[in-house]
Amino acid sequence: MGVNGLVPARFLTLVSHLIITIVIFMNLDENVTACLPLDHTSADYDFNTNLLMVGLILTLVFLGIEFVCFLSGISMFMPIQCLISTFAHAGASIALSYFIVDVWKCYNYYYVFAICSAFPVFTELVVVVGAMVFRV
Amino acid sequence: MALYEIHTHAELRRYKTHVCSKATLIQIFCLLLTIIPPFFVAYRSEGFYKKIEFYQEQPVIHFKHQVIIFIQLKNDYVTWSTLKNFNQLHMGHVRLPVVKSREEDMNRDGILDHLKFQLDMPMADSEEVLGVTLILIFDYKLRKFVSLDMDCMAYVQHSTIIPGAALQFVGDLKFHQSEPLIHKGADRRFKEEIISSSSVHASDFDLHDIFEKYSRRNMSTSLAQTYTTWITGRGAKKPFTIKATINYPQETLLYAPGFWQVIKFAWIQYFSVLAVFMYLVGKMRTFIFQNQLVTTIVQRPWTKIP
Repeated sequence: MGVNGLVPARFLTLVSHLIITIVIFMNLDENVTACLPLDHTSADYDFNTNLLMVGLILTLVFLGIEFVCFLSGISMFMPIQCLISTFAHAGASIALSYFIVDVWKCYNYYYVFAICSAFPVFTELVVVVGAMVFRV
Repeated sequence: MALYEIHTHAELRRYKTHVCSKATLIQIFCLLLTIIPPFFVAYRSEGFYKKIEFYQEQPVIHFKHQVIIFIQLKNDYVTWSTLKNFNQLHMGHVRLPVVKSREEDMNRDGILDHLKFQLDMPMADSEEVLGVTLILIFDYKLRKFVSLDMDCMAYVQHSTIIPGAALQFVGDLKFHQSEPLIHKGADRRFKEEIISSSSVHASDFDLHDIFEKYSRRNMSTSLAQTYTTWITGRGAKKPFTIKATINYPQETLLYAPGFWQVIKFAWIQYFSVLAVFMYLVGKMRTFIFQNQLVTTIVQRPWTKIP
């Protein structure tokens, strides 16, 4: 592989996705209020809060899994997994910045989640299973 | 002996791979990343494709010599029009005026520039004129982009408590559009008569209904920039005079641009953002393939692999 800067890039994009998820999580109330129309009911509010909270917690769990697999070195030197992870988390950081600034609807969070959190974790687990089970 | 660089040229390093490989997936992903985001950037930053544009033209306007005049007296009214059925409807109040009109082309460009109109209504000395309603019908044509042909109306209404001898006014016949013009072809939707000349129903000559129908049109005209003068003190045996000058001004018109005009401007906007993305994604691909993050066959310039 050699010195080429891919590993730091993956680390930085992971961290930026983590930070922006934490930012959304800490201002959950305001984000949910912003994405609802002015005349919303409290049932709407609760539903959207639950929706967003579940999405955020799942994202944090998946990011945790990826950090563990990355920092423990299992997939650190696999270029394809590094590429997938870098692209996905960079995309997530940009999309979630738009989520905050452009005030997207709460259900749009799940599109970002599916492409940019679930997919790299899935490939990560495939890699881990491959490394542990088939080559140990 | 000093050396200096005399000439350089690039040598290409080619990366080859099979169709089913990780490298192809990366390539497809990079291609999508280059082509699709510029659309989003260009569209979301407004003005991607032109929906409306403006141009200037002097319309070709002709007075159709159709007039309706109402003169309000203290307890009565006097009327006349060029429409026979209208006069029959108001039998008993109709009086025949003397009408003079001429249209002039001041700058000799073949397009008429104003209408000078004069109407003298004979009046008995005891009659006091308190109000005037005047409707003139014109024929309106545009030629530069759309071939628009329509009938239009100028409406003037003046009423006062002081009995008058004459009404004089100057105005511009201004165009109103509530939708942009098409960019080519003929538009004869409003060539219909504003006031029906053949109907025998009284409701077809009700002024309010006529105005309501007229104001619902997408394209119409009205008299704007009107300067009215009411002259008082009518002499004995003198008629009531209406003197008007109606200018036919040059108009600034809105139209919906055609396909090629839209594409001409949209393409450069897309391309300017595409150039940035192509540069960045190109750098990314060079990084990926140079460091062999996905395995490909590397063909250096001095080796030949078919």
